Parts: sequence; C-alpha cells; structure tokens
Amino acid sequence: MPPNGSSSAAAVWAILRKECRSEWRTRYGLNAALLFAVATLTGVSFAVGRLPDRTDLLSALLWVVLLFASLASLAHAFVKEVEGHTMTLLRLVASPTAIALGKLLFNLIFLGVLELVTVPLFLILMGGPPPRWGAFLLVLGLGSLALAATTTLVGAVVSQTRGRGALFAAVSLPLLMVVLAAGVSGLRAQWDGNPIGADVRLLAAYAAAVLGASVLLYDHLWED
Amino acid sequence: MILRVLLFVWIAAALVAGFLWAPTVEDLGETTRVLYFHIPSAWIAVLALAWSMLHSLLYLRTRRLEHDDQAAAAAELGILFCVGATVSGSLWARAQWGSYWNWDPRETSIFFVLLIYGAYLALRSAVEGDERRARLAAIYSAIAFVAVPFLMFVVPRIYATLHPSPILPQAGEKTGMDPRIRWSFLAMLVGFTGLFFWMMSLRVRVTRAERRRLETREAGA
Amino acid sequence: MNAAAAPVADVALSLEARGLAHLYTGRRGLQPVSFTVASPGAVAVTGANGSGKSTLLRLVAGLLRPTAGASVLTLGGVAVAPAARREVVGFASPELQFYDEFSALENLAFAAEARGLADPHGRARAALERVGLESRAGDRATALSSGMKQRLRLAFALLHRPPVLLLDEPGSHLDDEGRALVDRVVDQQRRCGLVVIATNEEREWRLATERIELRGSGLGHPA
Repeated sequence: MPPNGSSSAAAVWAILRKECRSEWRTRYGLNAALLFAVATLTGVSFAVGRLPDRTDLLSALLWVVLLFASLASLAHAFVKEVEGHTMTLLRLVASPTAIALGKLLFNLIFLGVLELVTVPLFLILMGGPPPRWGAFLLVLGLGSLALAATTTLVGAVVSQTRGRGALFAAVSLPLLMVVLAAGVSGLRAQWDGNPIGADVRLLAAYAAAVLGASVLLYDHLWED
Repeated sequence: MILRVLLFVWIAAALVAGFLWAPTVEDLGETTRVLYFHIPSAWIAVLALAWSMLHSLLYLRTRRLEHDDQAAAAAELGILFCVGATVSGSLWARAQWGSYWNWDPRETSIFFVLLIYGAYLALRSAVEGDERRARLAAIYSAIAFVAVPFLMFVVPRIYATLHPSPILPQAGEKTGMDPRIRWSFLAMLVGFTGLFFWMMSLRVRVTRAERRRLETREAGA
Repeated sequence: MNAAAAPVADVALSLEARGLAHLYTGRRGLQPVSFTVASPGAVAVTGANGSGKSTLLRLVAGLLRPTAGASVLTLGGVAVAPAARREVVGFASPELQFYDEFSALENLAFAAEARGLADPHGRARAALERVGLESRAGDRATALSSGMKQRLRLAFALLHRPPVLLLDEPGSHLDDEGRALVDRVVDQQRRCGLVVIATNEEREWRLATERIELRGSGLGHPA
C-alpha cells in the first residue's frame, strides 16, 4: 500500500484548505502578525523618521520588519496543532510530508498577505523612492520563499520542544541570515539601479537548497 | 596514555617550532604566528560541524543513539574551537586592521557558524526524551549544514574581504611561503585534529556513562 | 488505490508483535511484548495502568516508532509498513482531539478529504449516522459533550472503513446506548476484519475472542 502521488496531493490540498478555513474562522494568527508588523513598522518609522534617499537603510529596515513579523507568527501553524492536541488526528490522515507541504503552502500565503499590507505601508510611511517593481517583487518573492521554507521546517521542530514557540526566533535566525543579507543587498541594488542578478541567484539557490533538504527531512518530523 | 603524551609533546613541539624556528611574513610581522592557532581552530570548527552533521544523518538512518552522542559532542567542541578562532582572529584584527571587529565577511561567517552552534545546543536543551531530542536535533543539524556553505563561501565571495587569502599550501604552487612556516602550520593542524578527536572520545564516554547510570537507576527503581 | 476503499471482508490479515517495545528513560512505555493475531477476530489488550496499552496501540498504528522489536501487519500476505498504517487502520483513543473551530461534520469531512476518499462529505455524514451523531453534525467540536466526542472518535476511526480497528478505551464517557454502539461496532468489525481493544472493563474485553495481558514485568501471553 505505498502512498500514491494523487492521494498525497489530495492531502496537501485538504490541509491547505483546512488551514485557510481555520485561520479565517479564528483570524488569530493573521491578526496578531499584522498588528505585530504594523507595530514594528510604526516603531521603526517613529525612531528614524522618513528616509527618502537612504536606500541602504530602507532595504535593511523592510527586511527587518518582515523578519520580525514572520518570526512572531510562522511557528503558529504547528504550535496550534500541538496545543489543541490535534496532531494525532492530522498524522492519522496524512503523511508527514503532506502535512509539512500543506503548512508550507499556507505559510507562503500567510506571508503574502502579510506583505500585501506591510510593504505598501512601509513605502508610504518611510517615503522610499518608487521601486523597480519587477526586480523588487522578484527579490521579495524569492526571499519570502526561502523564509517560508526555513521557518516551516524549524516551526515543525520547535513545536515539539518544551518551550513550543519560545525558541523559534532564536533557532530560525541563524538560518535566515543568508536570506537577510541577500534580500537587503538585492532590494538596495534595485533601488540604486544596479544589477540584482547575484542576489537573486543566491536567494533562489538558498530557497532551492532548503526546500530540497526539507523534502528529505519531512519524513522524520513526527515519530512520537 | 601513550597517545595522550605523544599528542601533548607533538603540539608543544609544533608551538616551539612556530615561534622559534619559523620566520615571519613580511607584511604581517610577529602577528604571523597567530596562524598556528587561528587557522587550526577554524579548521576544527568546520570539521566539528561536518562531523556533527555526518552523525546526525547517520542517526536519522540508523536510529542508534551513539551517533547522536557523537553529533552532540562534536557540536559542543565545535563551539569551543569556533570561539577560539573568533577570539584569535579578533586579536589579530586589532593588531593588523586597528579594531577588534569589522564585520569583515569572514568574521561575519564565523559569527553565523557560532550562532548556529548556539541554536543547535539551545534546541537540544529544550527537548524531553533521548530519541526525540536526537531526532529533532538531527533535523536541525541537517538543515543548518545546508545553510553553512552559503555562509562560509557565498557571502565572503559576494562582499569584498580584507582577510588574507587562505595560506593553506596550494599543491605544487610556490607561493613564496617559507617551508618552515608551512611545516610548523601543518604540524599544528595535525596536532589540533588529534586534540579534537581525543576530546571527542572523552565527551562521548562521559555521555555514555551518564546514560548507563540513568538506566541502572531506573532498572533498580 | 487506497486500501480503505476496498471491501475489507475476505482479506486475510495478521498482526504480529516481535519483542515490540517502547522504552524511554523517564517516560511511560511498553515492555517487550510478542504475540500473533489474525483476522477475523477481536483482541483485547488488558493490563494495569501504565503497562503500555495505549503505547502498544500507537505503535501498531504507526504513530510511534518502537525503540526495540517490530510490529508486522500483513494484509492479503503483503506487509504494510508503519508509515502506511494510517491507510488501513482506524484509530480512536481518548487523546484524539478535534479542531474546535470546525463542526463535527467538517472535522470528519477534512479527514476524509485528506485521506483521499471519494465524496468526503457523504462519507463524513454516513460515519456520523453510524454513531448516532447526525443531529449534531453542524455543532462545533467544542460544543460537544465528552460522550459525544467519544462517539465522534468512533466515527473518525470508522470513516475510511479500515480493515483494522484500534480502540483505546472505547467505552469511556459513553452512556448505555453508546456502549451498545461500541458492542455493535466491535461485533461487525470482528466478522470481517480485526479489532484491537485496549481496556480494563470486563464488558469490553468480553467482546474479544482473544486477550493479551500486558504485565509490567514483560511478556504478554494470549490468555
């Protein structure tokens, strides 16, 4: 009875839909993350004022705001299963890989919604120059993919530790440094009119490497 | 016992050779001699990470806790040597570049490696149960090892560095490095590697003894 | 094809434990146990609190990796790996919890959908009818009493018509009618497949044709 491809895809899809519906019903995770992002943004904006010509600072601050907001919220997808004691149910109806992939897709959508609110607000509040949208979205998108892939795996791991979410930020951050460095450098390059090729390649390679390793590791995520 | 004494003598001899027999490099002056400590430490920090990662993967394959003991011991020692490499590099940077910390790409990379080791050990300390701890730590270790090449090699190459290019002798190439420096350095490298594996075996034996003690106590209870 | 969709009758099924154990330093566990049971039939697992009844069921369901030994489940002569057990096993235990933000029907429909069953809503509704919960189908899981939750667990276990049913204390929180329901479910399952019941209630282990008693000291013997 090897689990066949079509039933796994059905499981991933079912889990993604379940996550979205659950989030829609409770709105707990998204509201908290949005509030957190807006609060961070306000704090940053209050502390440094408008920075229309400092593209280096703008790039760094945007990624810091996004990183903060996602580190505050992306472990939630797994932690709520552990806290609601629903992990047994989930593990009985889907393979570890299907569970993790469903959560990864949900985290990606979650991050997308978060950015849809945060990024325009950031650009307005901080008074940045108009971005080159194609390059801007490419860097943001690849960075988000790498971010979601890393935090989904780490979230699944830390949800099984004693402190649940407490370790999440500390344990994720070292793995996200590459994303942060390349993301900041890429955003800055698109604002300054420089080529973004090297940063985009780095982000894409990192996202691919983490995703590839994750798919191999997902199978070991839940065994007790 | 014999091996331990031999190791001690070997490292002492290499140190003496490095300080008294080998000359200094022109631009670096006496600070050349940090390389006998700094580079072997950095090498062990990377070797320990690789060792830890290898045993993490072996644990996921075989589920034998001995592999987890090895992985944990290597990470603990790795952090020690990583601190050694960072501090010695920082001291050298003070002498050569004028400040202890410059966020030079190589400094940045080693700092990240330090963070990863710290996160790995923090994660371990937060998990109940030997099997679960071993499994979760192994997963983290595997994903961290995917990140490390990016940190160690990609970041320094994208952003310009002040760091001297690796002094490891490129085979056959006469880079003008004095053979006395090379031999002292290689001797130190061998000595440090021996030191690492000796400390590893001690750490692993302690872990095993602790587990046995716990088991006998539970069997008795 | 999903094994769950196939008719379960007439498929020869056997479950064997070979020195199966789960021992953690400082945790509840299961001392090594060996037994063989075959379908059709019902097996009761009894033993003192902490002897490892629930652990045994989780091991067989593939939710837990044994620290020693193995469980071998064969279906029509083909071994089912622990990772694939969820497809052929129906599992109900007190620790099984449902999503509070979803109704009883939605919980089961999600399970059916994730399992890749055709017509998940129809399946979910049929399972609810079987345990007498159809009138509460639209109620959120939080709003269900503990007895109703227990019925929902049974419905969850029966949802994909599994050839193996693993029931951990199936009668807990149930009224007389609920216990009669458990009797009916076990009676049906033991004719066409295998049912393993972990219990210390005489009424429940009397339903079984075989009994495995777990002893803290070690070996379990079919009584």
